[in-house]
Amino acid sequence: MSTLLVAPFVAPLLAAAIGLLARSWRGVQRTVTGVLMLVVLGSGVGLVTATRDGAAVATRIGDWPSGLAIPFAADGLSAIMVLTTGTMTLLALVFAAANGEDEHQLFHPLVAVLLAGVFGSFLTADLFNLFVTFEVMLIGSYVLLTLRGGGTQVRAGTLYVTVNLLASTLFVLGIALVYGTAGTVNFADLAGITEQVPTSLVGFGVIFTAVSVKAGLVPLHGWLPRTYTTCGPAVTVLFSALLTKAGVYVLLRLSSLVLGSDVTWRPLLLGVAVLTMVVGVLGAVGRGDMRGILTFHMVSQVGYLVLPLGIWSVAGITAGLFYLVQYVLVKGALLIVAGTVERLTGTGVLSELGGLGRSRPWLMVAFVVPALTLAGLPPSSGFLGKVLLLRAAFDDAHWLAGAAIVLVSLLTLLSMVKIFTGVFWGTPTAATSTAGTSAAAPPRRTPVPVVAGGSGDTVPAHLEPGAPAGRDVDPPGWRMVGMVGPALLVAALTLVIGVAGQPLIELIEPAARTLIDPTPYLEAVRSA
Amino acid sequence: MLTVAVAVVFGLASMTPLLVRAFGRDAGYLGAAVLAGTAGWLAVAGGPVLAGEAVVSRVDWVSAAGLSLALRMDALGLLFALIVLGIGAIVLAYAARYFAPDDVGTGRYLTLLTAFAGAMLGLVLADDVLLLFVFWELTSVTSFFLIGGLGEGKQGALRAFLTTALGGLALLGAAVLLSVVTGTSSLTEILSSAPVLADAGVTPVIIVLLLLAAGTKSAQLPFHFWLPGAMVAPTPVSTYLHAATMVKAGIYLLLRFTPLFAGNAGWQLPLVLGGLATAVFGAVVALRRTDLKALLAYSTVSQLGLLVGLIGIGTPLAIAAAALHTLAHALFKATLFMTVGIVDHGTGTRDIRELGGLRRALPTTALAAGLAALSMSGLPPLLGFVSKEEAFASFVALGDPTWLGATAGVLAVLASIGTFAYSARFYLRTFEGPERTHPHAAPIGFVAPALVTAIAGLGLGLVVPRLDALVNAVSRDVTGTSADLHLALWHGLELPLLLSFVVVGIGGTLVFLRDRVEAGQALFRGPSGERAFDRTYDAVLALGSRLGRSGSSDAPPAYLLPVVAVVLVVGIGLTSRLDLGALGDPAPWLASDWAVVVLLAACIAGVVQARSRLAAVATLGLTGFTVAGWFVLLGAPDLALTQLLVETLTMALVVVVFRRLPASFARGGRPRKVMAAVIAVGVGTVAGLATYAFTGRRGLSEVGQRFLDEGEGLTGGSNVVNTILVDFRALDTLGEITVAAAAATAIVALVRFSEEEAVPPPDGAPDVDGIERWDGIGMIDSPILRTANLFLAPLMIVVSLWLLVRGHDAVGGGFIGGLTAGATVVLLYFSRGHQRIWQSRWLRALLFTGVGLLIALAYGLGGLILTGTFLDGAKFVLPFGIEVAGSLMFDIGVYGVVIGMVVAILRHLGQGIVEEPPTPERTVLGAGAHGQLTTPDAVTTPSGPATEVRR
Amino acid sequence: MTAAIIVGMLAAGGTYLILQRGIVRMALGFVLLGHAATTLLIASGGVARRAVPFIGAEGDLADPLPQAFALTAIVISFGITAFLLTLAFHGRDVLGHDDVEASVDQAPPIDRAPPIDRDAQDRNR
Repeated sequence: MSTLLVAPFVAPLLAAAIGLLARSWRGVQRTVTGVLMLVVLGSGVGLVTATRDGAAVATRIGDWPSGLAIPFAADGLSAIMVLTTGTMTLLALVFAAANGEDEHQLFHPLVAVLLAGVFGSFLTADLFNLFVTFEVMLIGSYVLLTLRGGGTQVRAGTLYVTVNLLASTLFVLGIALVYGTAGTVNFADLAGITEQVPTSLVGFGVIFTAVSVKAGLVPLHGWLPRTYTTCGPAVTVLFSALLTKAGVYVLLRLSSLVLGSDVTWRPLLLGVAVLTMVVGVLGAVGRGDMRGILTFHMVSQVGYLVLPLGIWSVAGITAGLFYLVQYVLVKGALLIVAGTVERLTGTGVLSELGGLGRSRPWLMVAFVVPALTLAGLPPSSGFLGKVLLLRAAFDDAHWLAGAAIVLVSLLTLLSMVKIFTGVFWGTPTAATSTAGTSAAAPPRRTPVPVVAGGSGDTVPAHLEPGAPAGRDVDPPGWRMVGMVGPALLVAALTLVIGVAGQPLIELIEPAARTLIDPTPYLEAVRSA
Repeated sequence: MLTVAVAVVFGLASMTPLLVRAFGRDAGYLGAAVLAGTAGWLAVAGGPVLAGEAVVSRVDWVSAAGLSLALRMDALGLLFALIVLGIGAIVLAYAARYFAPDDVGTGRYLTLLTAFAGAMLGLVLADDVLLLFVFWELTSVTSFFLIGGLGEGKQGALRAFLTTALGGLALLGAAVLLSVVTGTSSLTEILSSAPVLADAGVTPVIIVLLLLAAGTKSAQLPFHFWLPGAMVAPTPVSTYLHAATMVKAGIYLLLRFTPLFAGNAGWQLPLVLGGLATAVFGAVVALRRTDLKALLAYSTVSQLGLLVGLIGIGTPLAIAAAALHTLAHALFKATLFMTVGIVDHGTGTRDIRELGGLRRALPTTALAAGLAALSMSGLPPLLGFVSKEEAFASFVALGDPTWLGATAGVLAVLASIGTFAYSARFYLRTFEGPERTHPHAAPIGFVAPALVTAIAGLGLGLVVPRLDALVNAVSRDVTGTSADLHLALWHGLELPLLLSFVVVGIGGTLVFLRDRVEAGQALFRGPSGERAFDRTYDAVLALGSRLGRSGSSDAPPAYLLPVVAVVLVVGIGLTSRLDLGALGDPAPWLASDWAVVVLLAACIAGVVQARSRLAAVATLGLTGFTVAGWFVLLGAPDLALTQLLVETLTMALVVVVFRRLPASFARGGRPRKVMAAVIAVGVGTVAGLATYAFTGRRGLSEVGQRFLDEGEGLTGGSNVVNTILVDFRALDTLGEITVAAAAATAIVALVRFSEEEAVPPPDGAPDVDGIERWDGIGMIDSPILRTANLFLAPLMIVVSLWLLVRGHDAVGGGFIGGLTAGATVVLLYFSRGHQRIWQSRWLRALLFTGVGLLIALAYGLGGLILTGTFLDGAKFVLPFGIEVAGSLMFDIGVYGVVIGMVVAILRHLGQGIVEEPPTPERTVLGAGAHGQLTTPDAVTTPSGPATEVRR
Repeated sequence: MTAAIIVGMLAAGGTYLILQRGIVRMALGFVLLGHAATTLLIASGGVARRAVPFIGAEGDLADPLPQAFALTAIVISFGITAFLLTLAFHGRDVLGHDDVEASVDQAPPIDRAPPIDRDAQDRNR
């Protein structure tokens, strides 16, 4: 069990160390990363099996006496997070390899560092260690973000680093305030501490704020859409799969440990979630480039993911987690398609694109299905998630939240249609004309001008996707397969989940129960 | 059985691409056959349905979401199922000749049409509100792709999709609300729970949502605009979606939910008035349109309005009439659309100003169109006549409220007059009068489908009594009581018939004066839904892009300030709720502390005030040292020493970075300074108060006590802090060195491997091994230093190793040791210059960090392999009985990583600025950059780095 | 009390600096904030107990755990500060200065590694 729990944290570190030393041999790096992903997914599956039916497992690092050692623990939530993000990471890495992004000598080790941090955050049961794993994750992301080293990256990197550095400082201050009052950083001892030591609430408030920055909650979200579009496409995919999810995880975990059944703050949190949903989707609608729209959507979707903070019921959390699991994959697929388009055409700006549907039908499929899933149209996993959330909201008479869920999904649909009509419909443009092979077939009927003189289709230059490394009109087949394949896989998966989501829901519900009543988790940590 | 029927249609859809590949466009006939067969099957099996026994089939789906694949066919379902499948078959047969044999789009359109048929069938048979929604959305999605084609119909498709999607989401809201209120998602059970809804607070919301859903789908005012816009689609699509079926989904929805809300004014009034207003509006606009398809589209809007009005009336009679008219409309409107398609193909235009006299060239088409037009205008002996009569009858028969019935009657008559007029206009302008074009004749296969529906309209009119059973059953299923209607062409001289005469009379005159009518029409302008839609669309996009731009600034404060603000609010807000009286006593303070406070105040003021980078870094260093001193006072020697070393390293780092930067800082405006100062003071105050209130007010923490008591026993180390770092919480340290290693990697990545090679290797110093060592002057050109280096370096290495080993029991440890060793490299750098380090075979950042990390991990994994616990703090007994804690190995790893980091800084950031041709700006910058070098720890001649590189 | 004042002063100074222009000055600000965090961590153990936490040392031993925390925190923040300064260093090459807010026009022109087009476009937004 100990091995199972530490593997997701240690294996990436080992891979990173080897990758650093073997930076000149990409073959070695790729092999190491491949093995690493096997280990990660393996332990992910192992953890999910171990935590089925609301069980929880834990271990003491170094086998020091309980209370002195750092505990690593996993309940349903942690396990599901590890498996889901791990899966998406694998797909992202396939894309990176096909896209040639992993040819940077330090790409593999840095990704490994990132993974170590993320999985560490999912598994640790110690507040300060959580801070450390967060930092490991962040330093990895800092470097990956600026890997291209251009001026755009320096600007974006500075914003990204400073904001997160400030958040990290707050995190430490919060921990200090908690320790100063409660005298412990062990999750098991911190559970419900706010009743015994009310003053510790302030520290937790500061920590909540710090984590909200990393999760991208409005009004602390600005950095996310600003910076995520400037790095390589595969890196964006990785970030969307890992970073904000770690933030969401910690918010859920703290909410379970600290707030528990306390309903004082639920309405406030619900309000923040709804605000995040709305602001994010509006921002997305306004953008004129694929990755811009998609990254702004991350903010909106984070709003969906933290809805459970406000709807703290088994139904609500189940819905939120179900939504999260499928969303991680869907958003990954969409960003992969965006990256592929950028590679094929050299741009992600809608006004410069068009007619790709004729030349790249499979790419269109790979976009349409996840896009409709994101908008929650049936029969997709996104639809199930939306219905579950809606039911949970209305069950607890959160009418406003329910309305928001519905309206936001309409705007989501709008933005997805905006991308679709801009990229795949219409006549080939300078960027897309030669892109692909069987293009050129002129439209049968005279094309109708685009609806609603695309206001918002203007992209501030520095918001354009980070220097698409030139265009590659007709990449070799294996590259296309490697780039479109993962997206198609996800597309199929979402449909399968949409049609037969029952087992997944049954897997997730116990995890939701253990969040409402964390006794198994705490017992595991104490008696590890 | 119903499941099978739906499955068959979807199965057919999935097969269609292959069929098209095999049989070309004739695959349409196959599809038609299958749909027709299914229709026949349902009709036969539907016998008991008329008797009131619904056919049910149910398959569980996702119970957690309350989803089940429950289908149920009552008379209402049967009627619509027959329309969907029957017209579907006709349309597929028609499409088989509409598309050119070599049309690449055929396969796509046939597939989507079939899939759409499946969705519609599921929609009218669903017995679960969520399932109903699923199929509803499927129709929207398929229609989006049917209208949009490959982008030709972008605009229309987008408007239609988003408008109907709005309705769809309204339906979702209604569905979930219904299932939450009634506790079930089964449609049958929900419909039987009217009492529950009667006193539920959300019922009005549900009604509004349902009306919204139906109104958008059935193109009622003000959502009518998307329907004409969708006419860009090829004619088979228009025929099927926008005449016969999809627009009827709204009608179906209203009929379905009538049992719940019939009699509710909030339901009845909007339907009757809104519906009939739409009817009149549509009829009037149709009179003006010159594009045949647009004319028919508005006619559809009008007819749907009539239907909605009837449903609003809600009496058994009205429902029966609605059912009958739905059927009639499906038949004649499908016919008319198909004939338009034929005309379009034959003449290449749909504009009635360019058409005329086509009867001679296209006789059969004209016949079909004529019959359909008669039926639409409501003349005997066609079905349309009967249905219109019944409609009038049900309006005038409405007793309560009477005024509503009367108003409805008047509006209906007005609409019918318009209908009569535009029907005549359609036929006469197209098929009669002078020939303006010379169309090529249409093959009979192309016309046949239209002829079928036209004749169906006629035949059913003649044998209309045979429809009694169906419409009565529908009215029974919807209202509970059968209308026991006896349909006939001749009811005797009654009010409805008189109204028909009025209609024909006035309508006839309008036809007679049609030129003047059209002229007058030009003055009249109806509300344009498109413009409203587009304005909303633009507004949303504009708002969005404003929001987006706000998140696009380059100024870090734009992103930092929200964080600061939020944390202040949160902190203060939470504190204000606390009972601060309950806090313990504050920690006592010693006089010696005040020295620290004063000194620190001065240093911080210095850093903040500093104009030049040099001053800033000097004062920053002092600040760090002062803090270190404070740590000594607090009994944290390890911490103090680390702080001291880190501070030194930071200063070295800052200095090497400064060598590339202008001498003085970029100036921010005065307002910015003030703002920053105000915020800073606020933050400082809050932070200070928080520290005062929430620290030092409790005894030694339990866990801290335990470390002091059990630490040595468990680890054998007497330096408790160090044992925590390398034993108890070695995982933290592992993460810590990972960060350090990643930072070293970052430096290498940014400076050496970034896509644009920012800093090329110094001239003549290729980044390879094996070239002969070169000892030039360093940054500090002093022989003493160089000789000192010879003796000092080895000594410092030894010291660092000693610090490393003793760490467990005294001040020291891997990190402190590593930093000391790092200092050796710094010394080397200053005494021998950058190239010395550059060319060294061993001083490689990634080598040290990688190996260090590997050693630390090896220690952890060793534990995992030997004892099954990661980072297990084992002890090893070396020869001579020396007992060494295994964690020493871990500390060695730390040692390595730290050295690697120092090397990374000096090796990759340390080469200063490269020689550049002197320009005015350059000299300014150069002076600045070199000015940096006259720092205590880096004295050199202004041309120092340049010369260094030149060699 | 003194701890509170020290943390307050460091926090204020740091906040002021991170709101200034130029990566380097922000980096200095974060160094100060880092000191503040470290100090607060130590204070959270209680500044009343000040004897060195060695086994066998006399007096009121300080809480060792926060000291360990602080050590870790110091190193981590140093690593990230190093990265931030490297950004400034690299920014000088690709932007011409370390001031991400300023436009290239204000920056001293440099003849090597000219700002890439995208940054030139930044101006005309």
